Amino acid sequence: MRNAPPDRMLLTGNHAVAWAARLARPKVLPVYPITPQTPILEKLSEFEAKGELDAEVITPESEHSVMAASIAASLAGARVFTATASQGLLLMHELLHYASGARAPIVVANVNRTVASPWGFWPDETDSLAQRDAGWIQFYCESAQDCLDTVIAAFRIAESVLVPAMVNLDAFYVSHALEPVSVPGQELVDAFLPPYSPPHRIDPQNPESWGNVVSQEMYCRHRRDLGEAMARVFEVALETEREWSRLTGRSSPIIERYRCEGARTVIVAMGSLCGTARDAVDALREGAEAVGLLKVRLFRPLPVEALRAALAGVAEILVLDRNYSPGYGGVLHQELRGALYGIADPPKIHGRLAGVGGVNVSAERIAELVREAAAGEARRESVWVEG
Amino acid sequence: MRALAVGYEPILSSGHAACPGCIEALTVRHVAAALGTNTVAVVPPSCMAIIAGPQPFSSFKIPVYQPSLEASAAAATGLRRALDAQEKRDTLVAVFAGDGGTYDIGFQCLSSAAERNEDFIYFCFDNEGYMNTGAQKSSATPHFAKTGSTPAGKASKKKNLTEIMAAHGVPYVATACAGYLADLIRKGEKATRIRGTRIITLLVPCLDGWGLADDCGLEAARFAVESGVFPLYEVEEGCRYTLNEAGKTRPVRDYLSLQRRYRHATPEEIDALQAEVDAGWARLLERVAASRESGLTPSAK
Amino acid sequence: MSVGAPIPTAWTTGTTEVLKTGTWRAALPRYVSAPSPCHLACPVAGESAEWIGRVRERDFRGAWEILVRNNPFPATAGRICHRPCEGACNRSGFDSSLAIRALERHVGDRAIAEGWRFPPPPSERAEPVAVVGGGPSGLSAAYHMRRRGYRVALFERERELGGLMRYGIPAYRLPRAVLDAEIDRILALGIDLRLGAAIDRPEDLARLRAEFGAVYLAVGAGRQKRLQTLDYEKPWAIDGAAWLRRANAGRPPALGPRLAVVGGGSAAIDVARGARRFGHEVTLIALEREGEMLAQRSEIEEAIEEGVRLQDGAMIERVTERGAKSLALECVRVDFIAGAERGSFRVERIAGSEFRIAADAVVSAIGQDPDLGAIEGALSTRRALIETGEAQTTSAPDLYAGGDAASMERFVTAAIGMGRRAALAIDASFAAARRERGAASERPVPLAAIATFYYPKGERPCERRLGVEERLRGEAEVEFGILPEEAPREAERCFSCGTCIFCDNCFLYCPDLAVRRIPSGYEVLGDYCKGCGICVKECPTGSMEMAEELR
Ligand SMILES: Cc1cc2nc3c(=O)[nH]c(=O)nc-3n(C[C@H](O)[C@H](O)[C@H](O)COP(=O)(O)OP(=O)(O)OC[C@H]3O[C@@H](n4cnc5c(N)ncnc54)[C@H](O)[C@@H]3O)c2cc1C
Ligand SMILES: Cc1ncc(C[n+]2csc(CCOP(=O)(O)OP(=O)(O)O)c2C)c(N)n1
Ligand code: SF4
Ligand code: SF4
Ligand code: SF4
Ligand SMILES: [Mg+2]
Repeated sequence: MRNAPPDRMLLTGNHAVAWAARLARPKVLPVYPITPQTPILEKLSEFEAKGELDAEVITPESEHSVMAASIAASLAGARVFTATASQGLLLMHELLHYASGARAPIVVANVNRTVASPWGFWPDETDSLAQRDAGWIQFYCESAQDCLDTVIAAFRIAESVLVPAMVNLDAFYVSHALEPVSVPGQELVDAFLPPYSPPHRIDPQNPESWGNVVSQEMYCRHRRDLGEAMARVFEVALETEREWSRLTGRSSPIIERYRCEGARTVIVAMGSLCGTARDAVDALREGAEAVGLLKVRLFRPLPVEALRAALAGVAEILVLDRNYSPGYGGVLHQELRGALYGIADPPKIHGRLAGVGGVNVSAERIAELVREAAAGEARRESVWVEG
Repeated sequence: MRALAVGYEPILSSGHAACPGCIEALTVRHVAAALGTNTVAVVPPSCMAIIAGPQPFSSFKIPVYQPSLEASAAAATGLRRALDAQEKRDTLVAVFAGDGGTYDIGFQCLSSAAERNEDFIYFCFDNEGYMNTGAQKSSATPHFAKTGSTPAGKASKKKNLTEIMAAHGVPYVATACAGYLADLIRKGEKATRIRGTRIITLLVPCLDGWGLADDCGLEAARFAVESGVFPLYEVEEGCRYTLNEAGKTRPVRDYLSLQRRYRHATPEEIDALQAEVDAGWARLLERVAASRESGLTPSAK
Repeated sequence: MSVGAPIPTAWTTGTTEVLKTGTWRAALPRYVSAPSPCHLACPVAGESAEWIGRVRERDFRGAWEILVRNNPFPATAGRICHRPCEGACNRSGFDSSLAIRALERHVGDRAIAEGWRFPPPPSERAEPVAVVGGGPSGLSAAYHMRRRGYRVALFERERELGGLMRYGIPAYRLPRAVLDAEIDRILALGIDLRLGAAIDRPEDLARLRAEFGAVYLAVGAGRQKRLQTLDYEKPWAIDGAAWLRRANAGRPPALGPRLAVVGGGSAAIDVARGARRFGHEVTLIALEREGEMLAQRSEIEEAIEEGVRLQDGAMIERVTERGAKSLALECVRVDFIAGAERGSFRVERIAGSEFRIAADAVVSAIGQDPDLGAIEGALSTRRALIETGEAQTTSAPDLYAGGDAASMERFVTAAIGMGRRAALAIDASFAAARRERGAASERPVPLAAIATFYYPKGERPCERRLGVEERLRGEAEVEFGILPEEAPREAERCFSCGTCIFCDNCFLYCPDLAVRRIPSGYEVLGDYCKGCGICVKECPTGSMEMAEELR
């Protein structure tokens, strides 16, 4: 590869994703534009056009076909990457199930954006959280560096367990925010991520077929196998994280505990909200309030055991959801309630719909929410937070 | 006697679950064999998916990928590009899709793939309806034909896929059917020697869906050709037209009378259908003549 | 990263061949060899589909070898056979029947031109056999027995062989060079020929029976039937056989210019046409209407072309002599009512339809009966014929009979066929029974069993004849053969009814790949055949048939 990357670059989240994808050397790259994912597509196309990325770029008529091509390419033995957002991800919905059923370890970057209608371009994670039952590994990133590290790790994890992975980054707050990013060298990434070579593939040399109708028993067994593969993600992710931190010195655990020592209240959040929450925690800690942050980086499979361990003994939990499942509330809030069910000395769990539709939630507002929560009773439903 | 000389490795196997006398099975038997063993097939939900066999038993000796109904051309693209990326450019990618999966739900991605001139051969097994779901109409169902969703006969005409695909300017578009087996095999083999998007529409009389006796599928296909309902022709690069069976020698009525799905058709409807077929035929002849006049003679076969 | 990856479980790696779909069906196709209608109609067991198949491939020698398995006279039969095969031909229900006789003549003429010979018998047999009568039937029997290795003695009254083919049928229909060539080819096999040897009396026959293990009697029907209204003592009344015999030798009886010929069969037509060639004015008087006459259609047409005046549906009631030479023939129109058996009929005169014809002489050719002097007491007879069974057997185990002496069919190829059947029966009586292919009892292949889609429509080649003026000048053959390039083209039209042509259709059109090629043809795989019937429907020769299966 010509043009070895400089060690540190000023990158947006989108371009960090593009750099990570480039370093992962995907063989097939089907792409379809949608705001705010477009810079990923354009950057990768540029890499390919310049000869810096040796991949088959496909430009189909829709995200649906992007995913259809991705699955087939993956089953034919190619490493596949693509990126989308909001409507695009929803259009892929049927095929997201198809991909996980086919055990095709595709990696998709999804820029979280409000889902229509009405139209909007704002950060909101409902698009990807609506896909939580599709059988995909889901990561949520806080920063450009997080994006780069996660995309590369996602390939290694997905290919280890043969389950596709989705790396989510919030629109604009992450996708378009510039920050210095440490970009690893190709050799390093090659050592970390060997070429993809699946045990079964569509190959005339060894004719095996995928997709034939199965019996009830086989379908059931196949679903169970998918669940077992998901369960292996925790251990593989841990091993991947260890290897990545050995190579780069950076570590990004599946859940990150930030200043949680002795915390009475722990904020639980995903994606860009974590950045703001960190500031809130710092401010609150300065005021000697025992508050910490638990960043959920891996949402699927949901690291239930790790969450229960991390939150054991905490009195109050404040869950911030930048998403909304009408009729139930914040997805993380409700999932966490399930995850912690039956825990000894259960914490009070306060769910806040904070930042839905991209509404700005400041560090100060978060600090207020912490205090309000500690003062009040925990309600079963998620509570709307005004901007 | 018009004899055939065919000698190739079979790719379809016995034991598949097609209906007795199924022309789809017969057609794919020869189509697949014409492609050869260095081929991967894409089979969306359709009767072909049933023919392909229940896991873990395949009726194809080549690998088959079954995508979702609407995504065959996109899936074929994915396979093609993945194979290219692995330097397997000689491996053919072929789609065996139904008319519903082609004319209707899969049309968008087919059009896009054709626009990109993706390198695969797309065979549309046109049995003129959603047969796998019990015979409902598709946009390939012809005017007046009765289906489960058009119990009084279809009120609109059949979509002309061949012309639509030809208008994409792809290197090769053709029609064929098992009733003219030598022609079918020739077109299959010809397609393998071309690169880019190649689309062959295969008329596949459906015994159950059309209401035909078990041994009558080929006769129906031949009547369709002889009546001009389904002309056998090729279009190269979107403009060079070749008519393969020249004569329109039979009234449409003969063709209709073989099939239960037209039993209710009134004399006026039959006349209307005849007029549509005549008009379509005349249009086709004009195109053939025009491409001849402009010196666009078909490339050597 | 595939190390240690769990293997997805739902990949498909097996084959549907383990699924036996044969259990679905109710009927199973069978690969059969069935008789064609032309074969069944052919008196000599034509195997037409097979030899025509060779013509199609331009393998004329092969075609001839198949033809002469049954008939040593293809060039002769190819000219004068009454061609029942063409009447039965399935192609007539599609476009027009195949020109089978013309093809046969083409092959036969090639054999003569090329000098093709019969191979010597594979082995010699001890048993001596005798044939009485050197007409087509006797020659056929001699030929078949000789090819099977028997020592054959042939007894013939005349100095030349051929029977009615020489003394009856005129040269313009059957050139003598053709007849001689085909007879010589038989003799070259090594036949003990006894010319001028008449077996007329019972003691002659007894002598033969003592000397030979089996005797085939093919003495023809030499006794002329006569009209009661004619006085054959008169110089102006003569038998057709006698007239032809002399005319064929170039010396017709001297009769006046106006000839009345009586009869509706080939013999009467031949007299009439022959007489035109010797300059007579000829009126042909037949009981039957033109369409019912026994003579072949083409013969009648040709006769009329040549100027024979036809008085059909009529008979002579009385002849009055007028002066020294001239006769007045008092005639009447009749209704001809054919009987159940060939040759039997009755007539009803139509009152008030009397008419008169002026003539100088009358030749009658109204049929012949066999002369059965030699078999008096030895064999049973029926309606003036030797009574025979299916295999030309008679009431005596060592005696066989056929041809005109034993049948009212009165056709050359029928006579040849009977000679062949007798030879086979004699052979079987000596050797262990041998099977004959395509037994006549099998059902012929109907047109409906032919996948006609595979055959483009086409017409048979037109029959070309010599111009009338040239015909009347002498012995030149009237009918031309088909052109060499026409023969394979015409053979292309043959449906090969019941004879597999290895076109592979059954194999290629099976949606279940349940038909397999095997060295002897094709085999249906019961494990997979779903009984759809496509292979049967697509067979262009009717060589696949459906058989119900009871399970
Ligand atoms: C004028 C004419 C035209 C005809 N045209 C046709 C035609 O176009 N097509 C057709 O199919 N049929 C035709 N026929 C009929 C056909 O010729 C006869 O049916 C056929 O020849 C019968 O053959 P055969 O061998 O039984 O008898 P024959 O041909 O009569 O031969 C009998 C032989 O036996 C010999 N013979 C007789 N008695 C004795 C004896 N006691 N001892 C030794 N030898 C004896 C005879 O000399 C003769 O050679 C025609 C017949 C006639 C008369
Ligand atoms: C998205 C989607 N919608 C509906 C179906 C149900 N379905 C399966 S096969 C089929 C009919 C397909 O018709 P066609 O392509 O003509 O194939 P045929 O069954 O006639 O062979 C349908 C509607 C499906 N599999 N996927
Ligand atoms: S088509 Fe051929 S085989 Fe059939 S009856 Fe006619 S000549 Fe005989
Ligand atoms: S075509 Fe095949 S399945 Fe159908 S009847 Fe013949 S052998 Fe059986
Ligand atoms: S289809 Fe052809 S190969 Fe099969 S039996 Fe008939 S003639 Fe023979
Ligand atoms: Mg269909």
